[in-house]
Amino acid sequence: MDPVAANGGKSSLEVSEDGYLNLRWLPGAHIQVEDARAAMAGVNQLCQEEHLPMLVDMAAVGSVSREARAIWSIPCGASRIALLGKSPVDRVLANFFLGVHVPPCPTRFFTSRPDALDWLQASS
Amino acid sequence: MSPEKGSEDLRLQHLVDGIVRLAAGDLEARVEPSERGDEIDAVIIGVNLLAEELDHIYSDLEQRVADRTAMLRRTQDELERMAKMDALTGLANRTLLNERIQEATAASVESGLAPAALVLDLDSFKAINDTLGHGAGDAVLVEVATRLRAAVRATDTVARLGGDEFAVVITEATDEEILDIAHRVSAHLQDSVQVGTETVWARASIGVCIGTPGYPAEALMRDADIAMYQAKIQGRNTIQLFHPDMLDAVQERSRITSELRSAINGDEMALLYQPVVELASGRVTGLEALVRWHHPSRGTIMPDSFIHIAEESGLILELGRWVLHEGVAQLMRWNTTAPDLAGFHLHINLSAAELLRSDLLADIQDTLKSHGVAPQRLVLEITETVLMSRGALEQQVLGSLRDLGVGLQIDDFGTGYSSISYLRTLPADTVKVDHSLIQDMCSNPQQQEFVAAILQLISAAGLTAIVEGIETPEQAAQLQAMGCLYGQGYYFGYPLVADKVLDHIRTPVPPR
Repeated sequence: MDPVAANGGKSSLEVSEDGYLNLRWLPGAHIQVEDARAAMAGVNQLCQEEHLPMLVDMAAVGSVSREARAIWSIPCGASRIALLGKSPVDRVLANFFLGVHVPPCPTRFFTSRPDALDWLQASS
Repeated sequence: MSPEKGSEDLRLQHLVDGIVRLAAGDLEARVEPSERGDEIDAVIIGVNLLAEELDHIYSDLEQRVADRTAMLRRTQDELERMAKMDALTGLANRTLLNERIQEATAASVESGLAPAALVLDLDSFKAINDTLGHGAGDAVLVEVATRLRAAVRATDTVARLGGDEFAVVITEATDEEILDIAHRVSAHLQDSVQVGTETVWARASIGVCIGTPGYPAEALMRDADIAMYQAKIQGRNTIQLFHPDMLDAVQERSRITSELRSAINGDEMALLYQPVVELASGRVTGLEALVRWHHPSRGTIMPDSFIHIAEESGLILELGRWVLHEGVAQLMRWNTTAPDLAGFHLHINLSAAELLRSDLLADIQDTLKSHGVAPQRLVLEITETVLMSRGALEQQVLGSLRDLGVGLQIDDFGTGYSSISYLRTLPADTVKVDHSLIQDMCSNPQQQEFVAAILQLISAAGLTAIVEGIETPEQAAQLQAMGCLYGQGYYFGYPLVADKVLDHIRTPVPPR
């Protein structure tokens, strides 16, 4: 399935061949509440039949507003979420999301894609 | 130092500056990260995010505090409103009324228009409560409150002072407007009030006090109250404007009350006795005890000048007790001195309040017994107004008095709103026809017929008539010709001191 550009063009979303959702935030994107809402709408659109694990590629994201982070506290079509980043900045951003808001499904931060995919697959 | 190292230092310097601003309370301070995304940028972003969270928590806390404060303020306002409101009618209570007067008095310094106060007291509310119950009484009070609100302007304050007493504070009005409002209030109370199936009236006596700049706030209500009191005296359902003379009258009344109290307890009260005679023979059949007050500095004061004060102050009970004891004791003294003249009655006046005196029966019984006087020799004179408006309790007392053997007499017949039918149902033996009915009887044949008819009516009801106020032999003769058996008046004798009574009885006025 081809990636679908979410509203605003700051992210893309696809279902991988392995059966997980892959949400990619563009490097340097400053994620606002409407971007998060659009991304979540895309996730829910793809998960009408069943909830799927989701890999969120957030490496080199510029910033995430507080309101945008709060959106991900709302239950969505994802059954578990792996946040994938590289830099210390990604780690800080991810952990602020994890620490300040209570995620609606199991959520963890990874810096290794294989580790992240293993963890997502472990649930299925 | 490499350029890279130098830029790192610069970011750290920005970070320090940002933290200093945050520490100073500027929670909107942020530090711009670089594109590198390294540890220093991670720290910068972490600090930004922490500042954002802190800012959010502070804002949220401030909002909550503001919300709670507003809620507390609303609750406090509501409590204050309730504390200043009469629960039954929703009108202001005395506390709020006083506040409004104080405010209006303060405001009048600039405007020159001092506030005015109306004090209203319903004229017959007790009767409504007594006969229809407190539920009906409350309904009437609520209706009165509605009418008062409708009668005044939006800027005026209507209050319930308690019981059946209301007040209105009028601000920023001319004398003419104030009196207009008073008349409008009175007019709104003229229509009857429907309570269930009953129709009642809730008219009021209204006192008005128009303040002047500098008029003390507390004096305004006092003086409106004094004026209301005057309105009551002057016939109820009237409006009376306060005049400073009234204050003098109140102070005078207060002084008299105090003096009267000590007079009753001391030896300033005295009884005089006016004969009641049999018209045909001139024989004295009774003596009416009449009270006099021998005031040390003002001389002898007639009852007309102090009985109403005694009634208002409750001293009437003390006075009545004294009259009973002294009158019966004197009757015993006459018995001892002249056992051969022991046939006449002693007439004593009984007021409405005394009829409800809890120890009245026992007091009469004990007094008669201790002086060895037969109950049949005592006649209690009760005004027809009291008898007409008697309640269940009064009815019971009257019955018990009759059972005791004491005679009951309707006093002042013809001065109130007499009902012909009540003559037959009252527990009385004799009727005293008021002197006003015979005043021009001799010169007015029509009045003569009228008196004759009344005498026949009394006779037909099985009662015995005594006509009072007989001043001439012609009146005595005419009344006797009409079939009247007994009379009283100056013609037969002025009120006498006790020492002169026996001589007078022995030398009666010859019959015509």
